[in-house]
Amino acid sequence: MTFMKKGDRVFAVICLGLSFWLIFESSRLVYRTAFAPGPGFHPFWLGVVLGVLSISLLIQTFNVKKESIGTEREIARLPGKDSFVRLSLIVLITLGFAFLMNTFGFVLTAFLFVASILYILEGDGILKSTFYGFVFSGAIFLIFQYWLEVNLPKGFLGF
Amino acid sequence: MDILHNLMQGFGTVLSPYYLWIATVGCFFGTIVGILPGLGPSATIAILLPLTFNMNPTPALIMMTAIYYGAKYGGSTTSILINVPGEGASVVTAIDGYQMSRQGRAGAALGIAAIGSFIAGIIGTFGLIFVAVPLANFSLRFSAAEYFSLILMGMLTIVFVGGKSITKSLMSGVIGLALGVVGIDPVRGAERFVFGNANLVEGISFTVVVMGVYGIGEVLESAEERMKLKPVKVEFSKLWPSLADLLESKWAILRGTIIGFMVGALPGAGATIASFISYGVEKGVAKHPERFGKGAVEGVAGPESANNSATSGSMVPLLALGIPGSGATAVMLGALMMFGLKPGPMLFTTSSDFVWALIASMFVGNIILVIMNLPMVPLFAYSLRLPYKYLYPAILLICIIGSYSLNTQIFDVFVMLIFGVIGYFMKKFDIPGAPMVIALVLGPMLEYSLYQALSLARGDVTTFITRPISATLLGIAVVMAITVTFKTIRMKRAMIDEEEN
Repeated sequence: MTFMKKGDRVFAVICLGLSFWLIFESSRLVYRTAFAPGPGFHPFWLGVVLGVLSISLLIQTFNVKKESIGTEREIARLPGKDSFVRLSLIVLITLGFAFLMNTFGFVLTAFLFVASILYILEGDGILKSTFYGFVFSGAIFLIFQYWLEVNLPKGFLGF
Repeated sequence: MDILHNLMQGFGTVLSPYYLWIATVGCFFGTIVGILPGLGPSATIAILLPLTFNMNPTPALIMMTAIYYGAKYGGSTTSILINVPGEGASVVTAIDGYQMSRQGRAGAALGIAAIGSFIAGIIGTFGLIFVAVPLANFSLRFSAAEYFSLILMGMLTIVFVGGKSITKSLMSGVIGLALGVVGIDPVRGAERFVFGNANLVEGISFTVVVMGVYGIGEVLESAEERMKLKPVKVEFSKLWPSLADLLESKWAILRGTIIGFMVGALPGAGATIASFISYGVEKGVAKHPERFGKGAVEGVAGPESANNSATSGSMVPLLALGIPGSGATAVMLGALMMFGLKPGPMLFTTSSDFVWALIASMFVGNIILVIMNLPMVPLFAYSLRLPYKYLYPAILLICIIGSYSLNTQIFDVFVMLIFGVIGYFMKKFDIPGAPMVIALVLGPMLEYSLYQALSLARGDVTTFITRPISATLLGIAVVMAITVTFKTIRMKRAMIDEEEN
């Protein structure tokens, strides 16, 4: 089975689950009012349509002669182990940034965010990472806080 | 006369120092971010959306339109210099543009792309005025039933024409509609799919989804590839195309402009298809078609003009009907709504100042871009030399600030990250993001117009087919759906037969 067929199958199954959930949740809502659809109408039919489409995609993945669904798009592959670790770290560091932003304030967290990405993921030395972390966090803070007047979170340090 | 008067008023607004500054900043940032390979106009607008948060609607949308145009200009630079198109619409530019670069004519290619885009942008904006105004006037006759049919038609055409797999495009659209049901329903004001989470009562923010899918998703994909680019060097002195180049390109630019505008105005077709059609036409009418693919200047001039005038064309359904024709215009529609404007035909009446300032800014933006781009292309091209490892943390930071500053809530940042990961996998599995984004914007409008139409017709569903305009719109949607479905089946069969042989 090609990568893309596997991907399509996983996507179809996830969407099928989503469609069941939509139908189930919408059954708790009013389906119709006197002359018009109620709040449950739209999600119910979305669930039904998504279910039909998911089954159709699932059938397509079983029903294709000679791998023809995937071959032309084989270029787009899932990340290898290294890339997967790298991407997971980017997401984790970003999550950490989001968690800490309110406590430590924007500038300090942004500095740690940039410096840790450059140090851990990009192999820059400690001095270079610190320098870029300082420049990026400072520049973005100045642009957004003073020029665009966006209120950025201030931590215990007051910035 | 009304049009001229309104347009002059628009210029009166836009030509003030503040608006000129806003348009220049938009053009500059749009070009810079648009130059980055992999980041198309939708992603560029999404990433730079936070720049507009604290502005009034008029400067905000002027900046966004300038970013849109700037990203288009930027996209051609990567195609020509490194053979990596920034977006679909620049794919075809790379064919002859990169060949020109390899022959030492990068400056001429960039110059002709900028001049062609400028001419197309100006003519396209005139086209926008002359098509959008009558269309908006005509659509003032629309009631809820016509709106429902129009939105349905718009969504179907986008889904059907947009992706490689119709099933996956449709699924992406339905997921977008499903995301749109979260929050307070437009019928009874009841909470749906909120699960006791106060952050979800207002619904899933369109902006957050867009920044996630386009911004974070693109960054994750690019960061994974550890992009290392080696652009062709461009010298300041070699930027102007020769007179022979200009003469050779003049009809290509004109044809590209007309094709681009017409195709761009159709929902779902967009700049990519326009640029391919233009390339095909140029090759077809050329006396020496064998030059194409080997550095023919018309192969750059035509598609670049087409993709720029398609941008003006795509503003027609957005401004006149409130229906986005592409991912980028969907982002702009979302932004219009975010700023409290009600897109649709009434926009020309209720927010006339805004619309005409926006249109005037498109003329001004094109002038700024050509002035900025011709001498500064080497500088912009230099940004390609910046290692991507220093760019993506900055893009991530801007996206985080953007999602956070919407409601000053960390919750939105998490939602954006979730959609970033979803967007990344959508790219990997070839699931188009545009139908989802468009459906998320149009979904609540679709539901509300269905409710209104049926309430007005006292529950009579035939109202959609007994009203002539509504029936026509639905008819177009059905014909288009059937045509595209059959075409796809035929193509798949041909592909299988080819493999079997």
